[in-house]
Amino acid sequence: MELLLQTVIDGLLMGGLIIIIGVGFSLCFGVMHIVDFAVGEWVMLGAYAGYMMVRHFGHDAMFYLPVIFVIFSALGWVIYPVILQVVSGKRFNPAIMGLIFTFGLSITMKGGALTVWGYHIQSVPTWLTGKTLYLGPLTIPGLRVSGFFFGILVTLLLLAFLYKSRYGNVIRATAMDRDTANLLGADVRKVGAFVYSLYAGITAMSGALIGALFSVHSVMGAKYTMLAFFVVVLAGMGYVPGVIPAAIILGLLQSFVSVYIGGRFNLAALFLVMYGVLLITPKGIFRRGW
Amino acid sequence: MAWKLTVFILLLVICFIFPWIVSPLWLRIGTEVVMWAGLAQSFNIICGYTGRLDFGHGAFFGIGAYVTGMAMTLLGWPFGLGLLVSGIVSALLALAIGYPTLRLRGAYFAIATWAMGELIRQIATILDITGGAFGLQLPAVLNLPYFYYMMLLVTGLTYLTTYLLVEKARFGYKLLAIREDEDAAEMVGVNTASTKNWAFALSAFFPGVLGGIYAYWVTFIHPDSVLGGQITDVMCVMAFLGGIGSLWGPFLGAIVVQLIQRVLWVVWGEGTFYLVIIGVTICAVILFIPNGLVGLLEGTGLFSPKESVNELKKKIKW
Amino acid sequence: MKKLTIFALITFVIFVVGYAQAQEKRDFFKIGVVTSLSGELAFGGSVTKRGYDMWEDAINSAGGIDIGGKKYKVKLVYADDQSTPATAAVGGERLITQEKVDCILGPYASGTTLALAPICEKYKMPHITGSAESPLIWLRKFKYTFGTIPPVNLGPRSAIQTLARDVTPKPQTIAILGIDDAFSKFAAEAEKAEAEKQGIKVVKYEIVPEGSDYTPSVTAIKPLNPDIFAMGNHEKAAIEMIKIAKELKFNPKAYVQHYGMSTPDFRKGLEKDIEYVFGISYWTENMKIQSPGLFKNPKEFANAIRKKFNVEPDYTEAGCAAAGLAFQEALRKVNAPPPLTDAQKDALIDALEKLDIQTFYGRIKFATEGEFYHCNAGLESITLQYQGGKLTEVGPPKTRVAAPKYPTPTWDKR
Repeated sequence: MELLLQTVIDGLLMGGLIIIIGVGFSLCFGVMHIVDFAVGEWVMLGAYAGYMMVRHFGHDAMFYLPVIFVIFSALGWVIYPVILQVVSGKRFNPAIMGLIFTFGLSITMKGGALTVWGYHIQSVPTWLTGKTLYLGPLTIPGLRVSGFFFGILVTLLLLAFLYKSRYGNVIRATAMDRDTANLLGADVRKVGAFVYSLYAGITAMSGALIGALFSVHSVMGAKYTMLAFFVVVLAGMGYVPGVIPAAIILGLLQSFVSVYIGGRFNLAALFLVMYGVLLITPKGIFRRGW
Repeated sequence: MAWKLTVFILLLVICFIFPWIVSPLWLRIGTEVVMWAGLAQSFNIICGYTGRLDFGHGAFFGIGAYVTGMAMTLLGWPFGLGLLVSGIVSALLALAIGYPTLRLRGAYFAIATWAMGELIRQIATILDITGGAFGLQLPAVLNLPYFYYMMLLVTGLTYLTTYLLVEKARFGYKLLAIREDEDAAEMVGVNTASTKNWAFALSAFFPGVLGGIYAYWVTFIHPDSVLGGQITDVMCVMAFLGGIGSLWGPFLGAIVVQLIQRVLWVVWGEGTFYLVIIGVTICAVILFIPNGLVGLLEGTGLFSPKESVNELKKKIKW
Repeated sequence: MKKLTIFALITFVIFVVGYAQAQEKRDFFKIGVVTSLSGELAFGGSVTKRGYDMWEDAINSAGGIDIGGKKYKVKLVYADDQSTPATAAVGGERLITQEKVDCILGPYASGTTLALAPICEKYKMPHITGSAESPLIWLRKFKYTFGTIPPVNLGPRSAIQTLARDVTPKPQTIAILGIDDAFSKFAAEAEKAEAEKQGIKVVKYEIVPEGSDYTPSVTAIKPLNPDIFAMGNHEKAAIEMIKIAKELKFNPKAYVQHYGMSTPDFRKGLEKDIEYVFGISYWTENMKIQSPGLFKNPKEFANAIRKKFNVEPDYTEAGCAAAGLAFQEALRKVNAPPPLTDAQKDALIDALEKLDIQTFYGRIKFATEGEFYHCNAGLESITLQYQGGKLTEVGPPKTRVAAPKYPTPTWDKR
């Protein structure tokens, strides 16, 4: 019984970390219909940013989260016009072109990280490392809990922004029908840039958190790209509220497979489920995806 | 016209006598180039001509490698038989996967095939019969020209088939119709489901066989080396760089990418910066010369580079 | 079309013409090295490079290899295998046919070694790897390939043996968590086999894919309360597993990890949590060995590495330098000046088989029969433990520096 509960907790917490990545990724797709293959690399770069800042300026890693958000948002703002160019109009199958372009971006980022930082594994210490909560027989690592709640918080803030604020309405309108929104006065290009930079900032920020939780490594990107895909496929591409339950399912799935079936089948189970969902309900389990 | 023909025949001749005029090192490199030319073309069939981005295509290569490897080591079958079975198994698998998956389009298809490719890699690592994480070893036969000719044969077949079936026959027209507007194609009577399936199976057959040859050539295969994402990545880069959707694009792309990699390797001995170059190259190709090198060299292509740069400048100004 | 043709022809001409070489006369030994200078194994490859470079440095400082009274210097020529078997094969081909090396020093990893070895067989090129540890290599019985490091399914035994024999109370149970890659899986299996042999009950044996989150696996192990928690891994996984153990407050009486005890990454990754962790090595600088050759004792080698590269030495560096030493001694016996003819290369193989020398690395004697054919399998591994932040030799009893500390205090009490 204890084991079951602990497995559930582990799963919840594992999923919690992925929520932020999924949210940004889903939003990006929902508004601009761009699948960013480099999502894992944004995470990796954010992790390295966190590491570098702690190393050069001291203080705790958590302190830098907002800073990283700002820096990478700016970076996203700058890259966006290029992506827009790729995805718009007259080319051979713009959707594929967009995919390949972000794929090229991910390779560049990965190669860049490898060249600059090599293959060493880095750790980012924070005051939360090693702090554990005890709930009866259950052990709950402090860092993961914070990651979980942070993820929920960011998601709720984002949802509040999207559904309650004026600009949020504009964004959602653009997501629903780009041309009409344009006709009605929304500057769709600015909306796109805004969303993309938001996505880049959020994802990098979560990377810093993940770097503190696990470790920082140049090739860690691939794993998070995979997890982001999984979450977004399950939630429905573009359906942001679906990300929270989807991430939790991801965490629980991994946890239960590892404990009760065997760690070897961990990743295989993930891919199997992802593939299955795409075949059966490509719009996600809530059928609200794009 | 006569000019084109002479050049073509000259190149063919060079291909045939290649093993006898270069050192074993360059023969190895040449064999690699030929193999990749075939792989890139197979990717081109499903992506360039049919318009579906298959991000798990490398899995067919790995499956071919493992089928031949297991056939030869576990069942003791001869090489040729192993190859044939590899190709057929890959094609059948493609049909099986394709049937449900080809309903998806665009990004969904890409992600689904990517997930399937990774799943196959995980299965190969988990199972013991494939050697699992230890990999599979094949008996060593070191006759380099033999492997070169095998690769050449299969790659040649790939190009010939593509030329006959896709460029020249109605099958190709159907594929293009599906690529450009699948619903419209369906409406004018093209059986899109069946056509797509056959294209997919065709695109899987050749990597399967090439994978089998590869296994016997390198003598050691492992889920990470033959089923890893990097196989698909490289195929993809070569096809796009050379010119997606064209007959000779993949061949050109294979030569350029593989040679750059090998030359950089000899000159610099460095590998990670090569990734940056590749990444930037893909981005540049997509941005400025989406029709690849073939488009550039033939002076055709939707955009001339200059136009692309101007458009980009406009976008940035906002 | 015309542009295309010209492009194709020019490319072709450039790369086909141009590498004709006559057989050179040279007065130095040209030794090829195939190792991972890039790709995911680059980290390990750089360790081997340091070992090989260290030997090259030392032998050249001493004037070179002594052949019949005259000394010949050594020049290493590197080929990067990019961490893939196919490139290792091409690299080998290039070194042998293009660079025309006298012999080859081998790769970091086993996969690349397995692809390189048949090439060396074909060209009858003597090849020693200072690092690859897979027993699968030796099962193939390659005539031209040798290895200075014992296979990975022998090494982990010593840690288990030390825990079984030299601590009280004797551990009763063990849980093993291994990574699903060739090296780590062998290590995990070796730990399991040895535990069973020593009468320790294996309560859980789990293999997980690299890169997954190990939390659920540790969660499953914790309630079983094993005395020993053993890992089959490289240091990256060990860092994460131990961190997770700390977070989940999992307190086995001993942690055993396999590879990377002395790497700076491991130390940085765990910092104070590294205390009490057991591991193994085939060589440490504190070993009491005296050798007549280059580097009189382990400390001398360790200091030389520190001085030249500013890193802490590891057994892989030692194994690689030892491979160089093996070639050096064998070449001396063959007594042939460079460049070596094919007959001389065969004589070199003969000399390597007969080799039995004591070096700073320990004894080098390649097996000439059995499942570890041509491997230096006789080398015993040493059990290490981090005590007071220092890597300390705690086993086997005859050569240890300190007693193993057991049981490990719980996380709260540290």
